[in-house]
Amino acid sequence: MTESPVKPNPAVAPPPVVVARGLTKTYDTGDSQVHALAGVDVEFHRGAFTAIMGPSGSGKSTLMHCLAGLDVPTSGTVHLGRTQITGLRDAELTLLRRDRIGFIFQSFNLLPMLTAEQNILLPSQIARRGIDKARFDHIIDVVGLRDRLHHLPAKLSGGQQQRVAVARALLNAPEVVYADEPTGNLDSRSGTEVLRFLRDSARDLNQTVVMVTHDPVAASYADRVVFLRDGRLVDEVAEPTAELVSARLLKLEEG
Amino acid sequence: MLRTTLAGLRLHRSRYVTTVLAILLGVMFVSGTMVFADTLEASYEKSVMGSATSVDAIAVPAGKEPGSAAEPEDPVPFTDEQLDRVRELPEVAEAGGTLRGQAVLLDSEGRASGFAPPAALALGEVSRFSADEGALPSGGDEIALATSTAEQNGFAVGDTVTVLDPEEDKREFTVTGLVNFGVDPNYSYTGALVFDRATAREMTGVSDYAEIDVLAAEGRTDEEAAEAVAAELGDGAEVRTGEAFGLEMAENSGGNTEMLRIALLLFAFIAMFVAGIVIYNTFAILIAQRQRELALLRCVGARRGQVFRSVLAESAVVGLVASALGVLAGVGIGMAGAAFGGPLLGTGSSVAVVIAPPAILVGLAVGTVVTVASALVPATRATRVSPLAALRTSATAAGLEKGTGWVRVVLGLLAFAVSAALVTLTQVSGPTQMGPVVVTGAALVAFVGVVVLGPLLVRGIVRVVGVPLRRMGVPSMLAVDNSVRSPRRAATAMIALTVGATLITGYSVVSASVESTMTRMLEEEFPVDYEISSQLAMDGNGTGGGTGEEADGAEEAPAEGEPAPEEAGDAPSESSDGSADEPEAEAAAAPGPPRQPALPDEVRADLESRSVLDAVIGFRSRYVQDEDGALLYPVYTYSGAEIGVDITSDLVEGDLTEVGPGRAAVAEGYADGAGVGDTLTIPLGDGQELSLEIVAVVEDMQNLSGVTVDEEDFTEAFPEADGDEALFVRAAEGADAAEVREAVYTAVDDHPTLQVMSVAEIKNQFNEMMDIAFYTIAAMLGLAIIIAVFGISNTMALSVLERTRESALLRALGLARGQLRRMLSMEAVLLCLIGAGIGIVLGVVFGWAAGDATLPDMVFSVPVGQIALFIALAVVAGLLAAVLPARRAAATSITGALASE
Repeated sequence: MTESPVKPNPAVAPPPVVVARGLTKTYDTGDSQVHALAGVDVEFHRGAFTAIMGPSGSGKSTLMHCLAGLDVPTSGTVHLGRTQITGLRDAELTLLRRDRIGFIFQSFNLLPMLTAEQNILLPSQIARRGIDKARFDHIIDVVGLRDRLHHLPAKLSGGQQQRVAVARALLNAPEVVYADEPTGNLDSRSGTEVLRFLRDSARDLNQTVVMVTHDPVAASYADRVVFLRDGRLVDEVAEPTAELVSARLLKLEEG
Repeated sequence: MLRTTLAGLRLHRSRYVTTVLAILLGVMFVSGTMVFADTLEASYEKSVMGSATSVDAIAVPAGKEPGSAAEPEDPVPFTDEQLDRVRELPEVAEAGGTLRGQAVLLDSEGRASGFAPPAALALGEVSRFSADEGALPSGGDEIALATSTAEQNGFAVGDTVTVLDPEEDKREFTVTGLVNFGVDPNYSYTGALVFDRATAREMTGVSDYAEIDVLAAEGRTDEEAAEAVAAELGDGAEVRTGEAFGLEMAENSGGNTEMLRIALLLFAFIAMFVAGIVIYNTFAILIAQRQRELALLRCVGARRGQVFRSVLAESAVVGLVASALGVLAGVGIGMAGAAFGGPLLGTGSSVAVVIAPPAILVGLAVGTVVTVASALVPATRATRVSPLAALRTSATAAGLEKGTGWVRVVLGLLAFAVSAALVTLTQVSGPTQMGPVVVTGAALVAFVGVVVLGPLLVRGIVRVVGVPLRRMGVPSMLAVDNSVRSPRRAATAMIALTVGATLITGYSVVSASVESTMTRMLEEEFPVDYEISSQLAMDGNGTGGGTGEEADGAEEAPAEGEPAPEEAGDAPSESSDGSADEPEAEAAAAPGPPRQPALPDEVRADLESRSVLDAVIGFRSRYVQDEDGALLYPVYTYSGAEIGVDITSDLVEGDLTEVGPGRAAVAEGYADGAGVGDTLTIPLGDGQELSLEIVAVVEDMQNLSGVTVDEEDFTEAFPEADGDEALFVRAAEGADAAEVREAVYTAVDDHPTLQVMSVAEIKNQFNEMMDIAFYTIAAMLGLAIIIAVFGISNTMALSVLERTRESALLRALGLARGQLRRMLSMEAVLLCLIGAGIGIVLGVVFGWAAGDATLPDMVFSVPVGQIALFIALAVVAGLLAAVLPARRAAATSITGALASE
């Protein structure tokens, strides 16, 4: 580690929403063991938009999966609020994801047979939760999908599809939203739109967002960037710019 | 290219499991049927040949060969002198005559056993039959029974049985042995009693021989012996070597096996047809999923033809492997069938299972050909994949299929219209022999319509049933949406089930309608509780029951299955004596079934004196003949019955209660255009005529058929027919059933040969028979249904594979494993329900149409219970079909599925 341990951003300081301690993840590939995560300690604070960066194979997706309860770490703990999610059973994890976490994936975010609106409402329906109509309207207007609500995903552009995914992730006001390369498949203009929504929602709605990306421009929208290499947290930058992030990344890949 | 194909097959082995199972089951049915039928045939042959080849030559009176059309004149049995002359032939070492008549055997209740008395015979010193258990009788108080007779009545060696002599006096005999008569038609239907010669003559009054069995002299061949015997006996005899006789009989009994084989193969065909649909769908889905793979092949230079051949080669390998497994399974099933089914079907001796090359080759060929043929269309589709598809990112058909083209809609509607027109045609023309054929055609056309409109139907039905389902929660909502994502795929999967569901529902509707029609005739139109008739005087009725029906066209027995129509001019006495040896000849020569002797008057008097009985109706019938003896129409009378009240029938016109002296009712088929008010004349023999006014015309094939006249007119027209042929007895209202039974049986106590039938029992027997038929057919169709369920399971499995990422996404968004499983189960259940539902609708419609085109005034009845059961089974089938796919979907790791593109 080249920098001191994580310093909380004073503006959004307490309390941390997600706390990971000593996370490791080891894969057995027959002859050898691969350490996808080799001891990660990280915290994410309410209302903060954090980007996780790192070269390919650095373990950033694995980290996100473990934080989100999609994957089980080999050791270490993850807390979401007061809940320790490591050690929960699958059924409990499912409820946790459903009720307290939002997801945005790189692609294949939407169910092709459901309309945009149905896709947005899906998690609420799975949970049989009432819908906050005002919040729904607000989000729809923010992401600009009002006239696209009854379209099937196949009729939407890639950017629109990701906006639907963002709207879905934000609707329930989850404790944390995880975004896995949300702009990976988008052109730069659409990508910018999506990133703005994420940033704005963090600021305006006090929404905690954790985003995995390898794009320095995308990372520059975040409040903070943490860098991962070989399964370890190696660096972090607050209030990043694209140039700064690129430089750090380059340094990482060289080193 | 072949290597690529095989490598692909190995890689995707698991995707073919259900396809292989579908083919395997179909082929198993085909091969199993053949092995079973071959074995059965061999076993028949052995049992017949075994007895026939134990002698060298067999002589029977000419015209007697089993199953063949006999000459009109009665064959004359052989005399003692003829037998002696045969014995003296130098070619003959030994000869024995078989004496054959009939005698009434009493069952353990003291009533005559069977509808017709068993054959009573004495075997000669040389005979093709011998005791299989115990010994042949050697004294006047000993008897041997046919194994079938013993089984039927529960008699065993050592028991004492009672047989009536020609004077109807009871004589007791001790059973000394059992003789297996195998499939010889002279004994297999009526059973047989074996006495020593003197006793047989006493018991039957027959003294001549129905058969002479010969052993050839030393150094003489069978043929020489047969020729010599033939020369000696002349035209009056037909002589064959034992082997030729056995072969012929085996061939004739083989006909039964052939029928069984054809019936089973028909069901095997249905199963293969369904398997074909399943295979088609599997390949179509696999091709769709492998678009990129195929496009990549095209990219690296594979020609269209190569892609085509590669898909076909794949199907051929799958088909061949599955067929081979199917043949193996089929041989096993055939063996099991022969082991368990053989004894039920009365194959006497057990033989080794016959595995003939055709059973194997046909199975292999059918399975492979059906598989390859089913893969043709998907293979053609594979050639249309453009090389560019390899470069597209999302090549798999995750999206929705295009809408249904209007050509499809028009074609489908056209098919339905044609089908409806055909059904209307059968309705307009009324019941004819062609009716069921036309209805079957209409059903096939409608089925084509369902196939063509399938995708549309699926979408339409899902839209409707989806409304409530969507409200039930996310899993059902998603299931509804998923089920219409590939309507074509869903339609094909469900149609496989529709085939079985249609057939089984159609059959159950026909069966239920026949039952309720019969119930109406029995309970409403001719309500009686018992029928009393005499035992048939001759055998042959069980086998040749058809001859009577064919002879009189629109004839039907009143009230129940025991046929009562008569041929005129045949004196009752004639049939009770010697001619009984030649049942086949007799049945074929005589235009109607044998006459029943008149019932004793005292029985009727006794019955009429009972207070628990409300009505005793005597039934008499005669045929009116023209000068040449040709039968014109039957005339019936019911003494003691008020026509139109006690016995009713659907009317064309007129009023049945008007029937009385000088006034008759006529069935439409015999009315010949005459109507109410016209005059009917019955010739009185001496040139005079009896003129009757027609007061009612009734519909054909009901309780009243032919001409129904008053007793007075009947006696005038047929003075010789003065006894009742049958008595129908109706219990008084509220009478105790046991007392009624007691009264009836007491009345016939002194007349053991009279047959008492309780209508309730007949109904029960009939219903039982219908039920057995239903379960048999259901079991046969069951395989086709199981194959269809495999198909649905396979479709689900392949869809799940396609939707791995989707499932992962749903799980990530918080859908629990159970919910995911429920979603897939619901989808499969929906598919099964639609398939079964369409099948049930088709089955009900065409079951009704088929029944109505066959039975006049059918009481249409929908077996609600059975249909509810089918629906429940469809739900269960759907749940079962989804078990494996759902488990697989739920077990997939979320991160793994999300990571893999």
